[in-house]
Amino acid sequence: MSLSQNVPNAGAPAFGPAPVSGATPATRKKEFSPERMAKFHDYAEEYPNKRSALMMTLRLAEEEFGSVTDEGIEIVAELCNMPVAHVLGMVTFYTHYKRPFHGKHRFMVCATLMCALEGNTDAALDQIQAKLGIGPGEKTADGLFSCEKVECLADCDKPPVVQKDNEHFCSMRGAVLDKYIASLLNKEGKVESDYAGKPAVAMDTRVPTIPAHFNFTGESETGARKTENKDPYWQAGQGDLTTKVPAPLATPLTVPVADGVNGGRKPSSNGHKKGGH
Amino acid sequence: MADATPPAGGAAAAPASAPAPEPKPKVPFSPILLKHINEPGSHTIAHYQARGGYETAKAHIGVTDPGALIKLVDESGLRGRGGAGFPTGKKWSFLAKGTGKPIYLAVNGDESEPGTFKDRYILEKDPHQLVEGVILTCFAIGSKHAFIYLRGEFILGFERLEAAVQEAKAKGFVGKQIFGKDLELTITVVRGAGAYICGEETGMLSSIEGGRGYPKIKPPFPAVSGLFKCPTIVNNVETISAVTHIVKNGAAWHKQWGTEKSPGFKIFCLSGAVKKPGVYEVPLGITMREMIDGYGGGMKDGKKLKAVIPGGLSAPVLTAEMVDKCTLDYESLASLGSMLGSGGITVLDESVDMISAIYNTMRFYHHESCGQCTPCREGTGWLEKVAHRFHHDEGHEGDVELLADIAKNMRGRTICVLADAAAMPMQSYLQHFKGDFLAKVKETPFVEKKRTYRDEISPTAKKLSATGAGPSAMDVGSAEKQ
Ligand SMILES: Cc1cc2nc3c(=O)[nH]c(=O)nc-3n(C[C@H](O)[C@H](O)[C@H](O)COP(=O)(O)O)c2cc1C
Ligand code: SF4
Repeated sequence: MSLSQNVPNAGAPAFGPAPVSGATPATRKKEFSPERMAKFHDYAEEYPNKRSALMMTLRLAEEEFGSVTDEGIEIVAELCNMPVAHVLGMVTFYTHYKRPFHGKHRFMVCATLMCALEGNTDAALDQIQAKLGIGPGEKTADGLFSCEKVECLADCDKPPVVQKDNEHFCSMRGAVLDKYIASLLNKEGKVESDYAGKPAVAMDTRVPTIPAHFNFTGESETGARKTENKDPYWQAGQGDLTTKVPAPLATPLTVPVADGVNGGRKPSSNGHKKGGH
Repeated sequence: MADATPPAGGAAAAPASAPAPEPKPKVPFSPILLKHINEPGSHTIAHYQARGGYETAKAHIGVTDPGALIKLVDESGLRGRGGAGFPTGKKWSFLAKGTGKPIYLAVNGDESEPGTFKDRYILEKDPHQLVEGVILTCFAIGSKHAFIYLRGEFILGFERLEAAVQEAKAKGFVGKQIFGKDLELTITVVRGAGAYICGEETGMLSSIEGGRGYPKIKPPFPAVSGLFKCPTIVNNVETISAVTHIVKNGAAWHKQWGTEKSPGFKIFCLSGAVKKPGVYEVPLGITMREMIDGYGGGMKDGKKLKAVIPGGLSAPVLTAEMVDKCTLDYESLASLGSMLGSGGITVLDESVDMISAIYNTMRFYHHESCGQCTPCREGTGWLEKVAHRFHHDEGHEGDVELLADIAKNMRGRTICVLADAAAMPMQSYLQHFKGDFLAKVKETPFVEKKRTYRDEISPTAKKLSATGAGPSAMDVGSAEKQ
């Protein structure tokens, strides 16, 4: 399968983003820190099944690694007994999980109508552009700051609303925003001229491929892991949330390759020859 | 954060200058849900208990007949505050009984409807009234496990609510053997991660189950088969908080405010071009003018009012004339072809370009459509694209009809009502501001250029053919762009 071709971080890939974590089995951190593990076990206890703990477990991964990395996705999938593809599907469906392509400091500016009225959103975006040289969807070349437009942040009486990672700000324009950016720059030991007017890079939001070293053993054909599951409403019938396994095909889809005939293709059995040129 | 908000005004702060005839509330009203939000430490259990908190739960849990509690809420006429306004007691009585499965309560704190920011105040400033409401509701419906789903962006709200649940647990109000009775209750706070669609009740359930927030087909309604395929009651944060006060004070108390069909009080969120935007808890049935000119302090910068979005972004827009006729209750807004929704009132002044407003609105819905249903996934995208043309003064002839046609065909054909929520504002803008659209139809109509795809050769191709290499298929294709 093509999965095996994705050697993690073997130089820049010719096409498609590299697996983000780049962690090989040897370097991969196998578990969360003990206190996050304890938190996960709390969740697992409280929720009717492990799958439903996914939303919160992904937050643990976000805390553990600073963003939801491939490595985090794998660990979460293992902990919650779900296929990696399902977890990846969730991470890309929801917009608020921090991903490795975001900057270390992630600005989220509300662009929905209530904030956009009277040019509030634009004012905040322009200021960020002026101070940090980044527009929506971009990050600074060193990856420290990124900026994006988001939808309503539910504080519409005090526009523009801006979030920076886990911090929430109202009426964030003018001197307030300038001062805040200055304090961040100061914290990072940078100055405005490091970024203002300098070229920014676009955030590569494409979905990374699942790392080749990921261990799929234990997954059934549907991808669901076969494990003990104590929850009666989760098991087949009542709470069966996974899809059914399709019956295996009678004839395999791949045609055996015969040497030398038609460039590796067998002539079709009804004698009709295609593409003579 | 939200500290700068002016105190929520009550009837005492009623304006002297409300121009519309004022139907006086039967009884003077002062805020109930938001009464304590400006007191320091209002989110702690010590503060809550000092003002009589958890006494109601103590008096009722394991004592009162659960059926009587449901009847009480039904009699109070409380209607859902999350958007649809469905009578809460009635919803509870629809709960499937005798299935042998556990019953769940799922509290909707997603608050993603643009223009709404009321649940934020309850969660951040007074979360214990919600926790007490959850305890009472779970007892009434026979549930042992409640989920409270908050949007991922509510960071302080999440911390405070979790702390509140832990405090209540430490006091023995939540957990095993609550209030010393042989009853148990688990409250799980779930944090979402930024998806409007998780505010839709079944979308929220999908998210709690650990999946993408895909809404599910109804029926079966959650009351029959919801969370983990078990009977589930979904209610908004404000609804459940109101239950606390209704159980404490009785149905008649709740009915002394509001109108016949919309009894009680509600938090409204005022934003846009008014002098004093913010949250205002008022009895239902006051006039829209009183809200805007009284509580909101009138229009900012002396501008004229152009339109009002009365119930969150998905509510059809009201024109200035309609605003004068409008009172804030479910029936009045329905009769004007709009809805009370979540109570997020946005005032647009004369300087607002309605076309830009509808484009922004459509962009929102296109971004937030979960993509399961074709009419919604494609329809919101088409509406956005066509609105984008108008936004850039490049509307084509017939685009107004096209928008109307797309919107009409989106409604009632999808799993959840997000498609309707996107189509309704578009239809209302087309109805009331058609002139604005027509003014942006491009003078020179769009004519498709005749292209032969063969005779236009790109400069590269020309160069190549000059060297004898001949044009390749790729070069011919790139001629299009030049
Ligand atoms: C697209 C969409 C978004 C919604 N968003 C919210 C929301 O953010 N908060 C909320 O309480 N209800 C929201 N609702 C309404 C819920 O589906 C549901 O009706 C409500 O939570 C029920 O609670 P109630 O009876 O207490 O109002 C939304 C509905 C739709 C269709
Ligand atoms: S109507 Fe839209 S948001 Fe709702 S389920 Fe269908 S595609 Fe998803």
